[in-house]
Amino acid sequence: MFTLTRTRTRLDRQFDRIRDLEEAGLNKKSTTSRALRKLLNNRLAMFGLAIFLIILLSSAFAPLLTSYDPLGVDMRSILKKPSLLHLFGTDKLGRDVFTRVLYGGRISIFVGLGSALGAASIGVLLGAYGGYKGGWFDKTVIRFSEIFMSFPQLILVMMLVSIFGQGLSNLMIIFIITGWGSVYRLTRARMLSLREEEYVQSLKSFGLNDFIICYKHILPNAISPIVVNITLSTAMFILEESALSFLGLGVPLEIATWGNILNASQDLFTLQNTWWLWLPVGVTISLFVMSINFVGDGLRDTTDPTQQG
Amino acid sequence: MLKFSLKKILAMIPMALVISFLIYLGLELTPGDAVSYMIPPDQLANVSPEKLEAIRELYGLNDPFIVRYFRWLIQMLQGNFGFSLTNGVPIKKILLETYPATLELSVAALLISTLLGSFLGIVSAIRRGSIADNALTVAGMLGVSIPQFFLGMVSILLFALQLKWLPIGGRMLPGQTDLLSHIRFLILPALVLGVTLTAGVMRYSRSSMLDTMNKDYIRTARSKGLPEWRVNLIHGFRVAITPVVVLIGFRLPMLIGGSVVIETIFQWPGIGNAFNMAVRGQNYPLVMTIALFSVFAVLIASLLVDILTAALDPRVKLH
Repeated sequence: MFTLTRTRTRLDRQFDRIRDLEEAGLNKKSTTSRALRKLLNNRLAMFGLAIFLIILLSSAFAPLLTSYDPLGVDMRSILKKPSLLHLFGTDKLGRDVFTRVLYGGRISIFVGLGSALGAASIGVLLGAYGGYKGGWFDKTVIRFSEIFMSFPQLILVMMLVSIFGQGLSNLMIIFIITGWGSVYRLTRARMLSLREEEYVQSLKSFGLNDFIICYKHILPNAISPIVVNITLSTAMFILEESALSFLGLGVPLEIATWGNILNASQDLFTLQNTWWLWLPVGVTISLFVMSINFVGDGLRDTTDPTQQG
Repeated sequence: MLKFSLKKILAMIPMALVISFLIYLGLELTPGDAVSYMIPPDQLANVSPEKLEAIRELYGLNDPFIVRYFRWLIQMLQGNFGFSLTNGVPIKKILLETYPATLELSVAALLISTLLGSFLGIVSAIRRGSIADNALTVAGMLGVSIPQFFLGMVSILLFALQLKWLPIGGRMLPGQTDLLSHIRFLILPALVLGVTLTAGVMRYSRSSMLDTMNKDYIRTARSKGLPEWRVNLIHGFRVAITPVVVLIGFRLPMLIGGSVVIETIFQWPGIGNAFNMAVRGQNYPLVMTIALFSVFAVLIASLLVDILTAALDPRVKLH
């Protein structure tokens, strides 16, 4: 029998505990929300949230954690190995790498989160109305999004960078232009099914304004997949920013970002001999992106009933 | 079937036209005067404004935008992609030289990610909830979270510089064209590109397999007393794998984007590397041509996916 030979998992043990409690009559009614309990119970998501908060807060409070200037050149201490004085060592200009990683995180996270929020607001605005109303507006916007979606993302971003030039704000605008499509499609698809609900019919019969029905009454019901999408696209944009900066096409090199710190250590000498210039930054990016992905996945598991498992 | 395919192809044409128009618009928006590209910089100062105007007239640069677009489109369709700004080489020649290298890398990465991803996904679906499943979930998340270039750097350091097993980069040494020495160059870039794609395939094949394992006919197969491996492999896997294979088409955009980064790190002489050089050197005609081709590649891939899905899955309506 299949079910008897199956190895028992953590979930099975949990169910057993709950059943034992129920049989003993000790099962108390929980007061917190079900989704929150589910999220708190997801070990990977909690682990991700912890790492996410640690990196986010240490970037935000960088001046408290380090006394160095991220751009302060110190010619007396060039390429020093990691020590108590310089946790991640110093780079070719004597700048403290730990400080640069912290301050770089500010820009990288800002670019990632800002672009994701910007892309999401455009996508939600267009997707909610288009999905609810349909008609020529919807048809036009969906064609537009198809055009953007058919470009490989990095190719489109690089092409736009070559036209508009590099720079922090340019990069964010380009990310928003290239990234709104996925949120748009998601929101539109949710709206298409939600608009058939009966409460929408009744709102309509009350003679409410289309905008109010659409944004105030239907949109809140579509919000959870959008939040998941924002977290996942934040991770994507952080990766893209670092890839672009690594290629020398992202944020100008004067500004410390995670990608720019790595950009300065591309040569084989650095790779082989001064590992502290690139390994801590690379690990930080990977950990941060991974933590966002875990949180996003956890959120999806708790809010989306179709994605169990 | 034929009618369905034709319909899909016809629907693609306006899309391709709009995209080519947008790309031409981008080309127009780029800084610089097309005439100044045609004359060597040291002679530009000697050319009188009237002469420049005459050249403009000759090449039709004063015509309305839409006329110039159609002229450009016709040239493109005839295979005249223009010249690279940095060295004057015909773009067609650059594309023909770089595209086999990119194709080779992409096919290798696709093979690696499809085989590895579907295998691991199915293992973790069969052993759902076990330590192996959890470890694979974490590993897969790590795979999508590590920046490709960082993975590339670490693998160069490890396998090329420290262990000296594989070359640092490039595609082949001059004079050594036999397969074995060639494959040594391919392994690292293909693995790095493949591994980053594997995670997505793994996740998809895991959920597809879980879906299939809950179907009634799997229970029937079990109740017939078939051995577990037969149920998993013959009955479950065969059905679960179809959408995974079709997914290849959707991975193409990621593959093209990823190849830009990977080819740059490993000095792989492919289209991605050429694209990166062109963007950095503001070699706009080359940038636009490569962008146009990558979009067409994606469009054709999604067309093939549509047709394949329709062919494999009778539930897809053919109209």
